[in-house]
Amino acid sequence: MIGPTSIGTWRVVGAVLAHLGLGHSTLTPLQSTIVWQLRAPRMVLGLLAGAMLAVAGATYQGVFRNPLADPYLLGVAAGAGLGATYAIVNVGHSLATPTWTPLLAFVGAMGAVIVTWLIGGRRLRSSTATLILAGVAVSSLLTSAQTFLQQQSTGSIARVYIWLLGSLASASWSSVWLVLPYVAICVAICVFAGRALDVMSVGEDESRSLGVPVRQVRFVVIAASSLGTAAIVSAVGLIGFVGIIVPHIVRLLVGTSYRRILPISVLFGAGFLVVADTIARTVLAPSELPLGVVTALVGAPVFVVILSLRRPVAV
Amino acid sequence: MHELSVRVGKKELVSSISLEIAAGTWCTIVGPNGAGKTTLVEAVAGLRPPSHGSVSIGGKLVSAMSERERARTVSLVPQHPVVPQGMTVYDYVALGRTAYHGLFRPPSAHDRSVIDGVIERLSLDEFRDRDSATLSGGERQRMVLARAFAQSTKVIVLDEPITGLDMRHQMELLEILKTEVADCGLTVVATLHDLTLAGQFADRLVLLDHGNVAVDGPAGEVVRSDELATCYGMNLRVVDVDGSDVVVPVRK
Repeated sequence: MIGPTSIGTWRVVGAVLAHLGLGHSTLTPLQSTIVWQLRAPRMVLGLLAGAMLAVAGATYQGVFRNPLADPYLLGVAAGAGLGATYAIVNVGHSLATPTWTPLLAFVGAMGAVIVTWLIGGRRLRSSTATLILAGVAVSSLLTSAQTFLQQQSTGSIARVYIWLLGSLASASWSSVWLVLPYVAICVAICVFAGRALDVMSVGEDESRSLGVPVRQVRFVVIAASSLGTAAIVSAVGLIGFVGIIVPHIVRLLVGTSYRRILPISVLFGAGFLVVADTIARTVLAPSELPLGVVTALVGAPVFVVILSLRRPVAV
Repeated sequence: MHELSVRVGKKELVSSISLEIAAGTWCTIVGPNGAGKTTLVEAVAGLRPPSHGSVSIGGKLVSAMSERERARTVSLVPQHPVVPQGMTVYDYVALGRTAYHGLFRPPSAHDRSVIDGVIERLSLDEFRDRDSATLSGGERQRMVLARAFAQSTKVIVLDEPITGLDMRHQMELLEILKTEVADCGLTVVATLHDLTLAGQFADRLVLLDHGNVAVDGPAGEVVRSDELATCYGMNLRVVDVDGSDVVVPVRK
């Protein structure tokens, strides 16, 4: 509805109804293409990305009992960044199809998390701090490799940079269908883990004494959050801030129980990212602001306002 | 009931201890800091795998139990319980039922009636909806005990449960436990620093020293033993006050 090409709200509603077999669309073929092939998949991908990043962030904060945790904590972002940069710098020129970028970003993201887990998560009594530190180490290593690659090929810096800041501009139905299964399954797993995360808020030893198989739960929810995040990142790049700020906004509004935080983060994250993307593509239309810039520009003030209105609560 | 022979860790914190604790009795572990008390009770609660030997409750190996089964067999009141901010007292006590309703289902009607019963028994009614992080030390410790009672276990393990409480709250907490032992046949394994209270409440005292059992026996004998003073490296007097032993340190 909103965008560089102005199409009336009711005509879009009419077109949606027409698509469902109710009435007739009054859109021209060009407008119809804009609505169905550009804006609709972009919005759906935005909903998926926002939901996934927010719920993954909330899950990470719960499982690590750390308010600074975000979905990129274990190296997803750095791994995806390296993969995507490699694709853009080396493969991008030789192959016309851009499909290498998401593929290598996904491989890089999952590879990074797996290496992090192998370093810091396997030992029987290793604390989550070990895992976080392993994530920091892996992230630093991969980020420096990514920077090196980027410096080697100054011609593609702009494209790498655009990717790193995240964007929904290249959204298509095929990218939606590609990430949908990952996001659906991973969001469901995270949301169902709410009760487990509530018990685990008393720490590892105590939750074990209460009957929670802590290590298994931790493995499953970290795997789900990371897999879903990797899928999203490979499709839309590194959209920052949603994964850390949305769960905190939700926590300030609904309290500290993950049974409420997780499902509401899904809704808030989805809505927040679509609003941010609408701002990103309209403020400077027809050119676009990087989505990561908007999420921070919008999210930070909102967060500060809520923080000052409500008593801050711990994770 | 217990057959307990445990060694833990690369550095041996508890060395080949064998204890058998009868069901429905109270056994208190005493000893100086670093004697291995916490390690021992954590092994009983199944949180530390024995490097050698085994712990069993009711004839069943604790290490062979699933997390859920173990949580229905032995409950733990840790030395430094984590009290999450923003969780109500009711929700905190309800955590004790996790092993019964599981991680994906809400507490059943039976679970809720157990929780209500425990809250009433421990006089936590007025705090039900309070943020658990805002309670005073005594109230908080009662709440942690309530969570352990909600687990409906036959054995409860307590690590320094009264440290940091004032005298009245110390006595109150121990009396609650004593009642539970008498009325419900609960088995208590606790560590305590206060030798006087340890002597007054326990059926049996076990003095640990450097991971070994120094003395083991009825409370009255252990507080009078020479090993107790040697173990702490100080002069101790035991004074009889109205039939209760009071352990007093004396300057050298």
